[in-house]
Amino acid sequence: MQDFFSEISSSFEKTFITDDRWLQLLNGLGVTVQITIFAALIGLVLGFLIAVIRSTHDMTVQGKKCRNFSDFILKFLNFLCNIYITIIRGTPVVIQLMIMYFIVFASSRNGIFAAILSFGINSGAYVAEIVRSGIMSIDKGQFEASRSLGFNYSSTMIHIILPQAFKNILPALGNEFIVLVKETSVAGYVALQDLTYVGNLIRSRTYEAFFPLITVALIYLIIVLILTFLLKKLERRLRNSDH
Amino acid sequence: MKKLLSALLAAAMLCTSAIAFSGCGEDSAKITTADDLIGKSIGVQLGTTGDIYATDEYEKQGSKIERYNKGADAIVALTSGKIDAVIIDNEPAKAFVEANDGLKILDEPFAKEDYAICVAKDNEKLLNDINKTLAELKQDGTLDSIMKNYIGDDTKGKSPYKTPDGTEYPNGELHMATNAFFEPYEYYDGDQIVGIDAMTAQAICDKLGYKLVIDDMDFDAIVTAVQTGKADFGMAGMTVTDERLQTINFTDSYTTATQVIIVNK
Repeated sequence: MQDFFSEISSSFEKTFITDDRWLQLLNGLGVTVQITIFAALIGLVLGFLIAVIRSTHDMTVQGKKCRNFSDFILKFLNFLCNIYITIIRGTPVVIQLMIMYFIVFASSRNGIFAAILSFGINSGAYVAEIVRSGIMSIDKGQFEASRSLGFNYSSTMIHIILPQAFKNILPALGNEFIVLVKETSVAGYVALQDLTYVGNLIRSRTYEAFFPLITVALIYLIIVLILTFLLKKLERRLRNSDH
Repeated sequence: MKKLLSALLAAAMLCTSAIAFSGCGEDSAKITTADDLIGKSIGVQLGTTGDIYATDEYEKQGSKIERYNKGADAIVALTSGKIDAVIIDNEPAKAFVEANDGLKILDEPFAKEDYAICVAKDNEKLLNDINKTLAELKQDGTLDSIMKNYIGDDTKGKSPYKTPDGTEYPNGELHMATNAFFEPYEYYDGDQIVGIDAMTAQAICDKLGYKLVIDDMDFDAIVTAVQTGKADFGMAGMTVTDERLQTINFTDSYTTATQVIIVNK
């Protein structure tokens, strides 16, 4: 029994105390959080833009001939967005990350930037479809009512449709961010020192699997729990306006 | 809400562009000796002796260590200028430099290391079996001819190892854990894993009457795989170090190697 405990305490010490490895874990957590937050922001912006373009196209010019130049632009933009979504959803994020790191930003020394951009672009494709489903879920009558009150198309979108859509898609968006947090764990492929990478690094030094893996798993779980809590709060807050 | 959003957006863009350009324009003065590595960014393969060496020697002096899952990824990063140097074992280094015109190896080898096969601590029998077989293979020249088949310009490819006719495998399978991105020790030739380690392992298994199964994995997973019994032994150009000896046993050494520095010409 005593052996068992001394073994545990020695592997605990090796995993956390030696060489200040807890500090390395903390730094890894920082990198993971940094990548996730900026990637989520890029994803949100991209996603909303693309969703608005796609649903505007679907509601106004789909299946019709171009009447003027702006119709043509819209069709062209919709075409681009479709290509983007097809490519991004059709390829694994690790491959996209390595393309970004080894090919697109071949000469840059900043791996974090490449990672943020590729995770952001990846997330954007998924967010776009989520937001589009939200916009499409709003009853057409809302558009008509808003237009008849004198709102033009863009202010209808911004003030009437998107706020309602946002409330509907919040659970799905939360899902996407949770996936994003965990997806960043492949950043180690391009030598970024994120949480998973630090876990592997410690494993490669101590040759013990238990503590590094379980710790890393727990930290991810805690991040996701915090995220879930915040989302729930936001959801409740937004629901106040229902009454 | 709108103001908050636009403020957030602006902040995000500022930050991203700030990080994007912070790394650029770094002057990478020429590296000609090992001392020049101080303050530079050095690429290694995670968990290798090159990694441990770079970490112990240079990280504390302000060098940045970039650890890749594969040695080849570190080389790609070096050729595109993401890092300034790569520390890796000499034979793979030669293979990498041969494949990339813009690279060269510095004439400054580090200390010699012993490559050995790792076996789980509680598997004394296999350890003794392998040691005995290794001694036999050294004696009858098999090991030497395998080595010559992969190293040395004029002997390369001339003495491939062949399993003796009539070899039977009554003892079942032996699983070897390796990381097959380490020419000439282990690498893919078509869909086969070949190389000095793979052939030596084949020779050992032929003698012992086991069928050899090679499991390819990340280098830093090999010791754990052997220790937990997922593989019977690990052979991946693995150097005997004190840290590794704490968790795993090593057989007698079958060859020696050195760590070298690769830089851009």
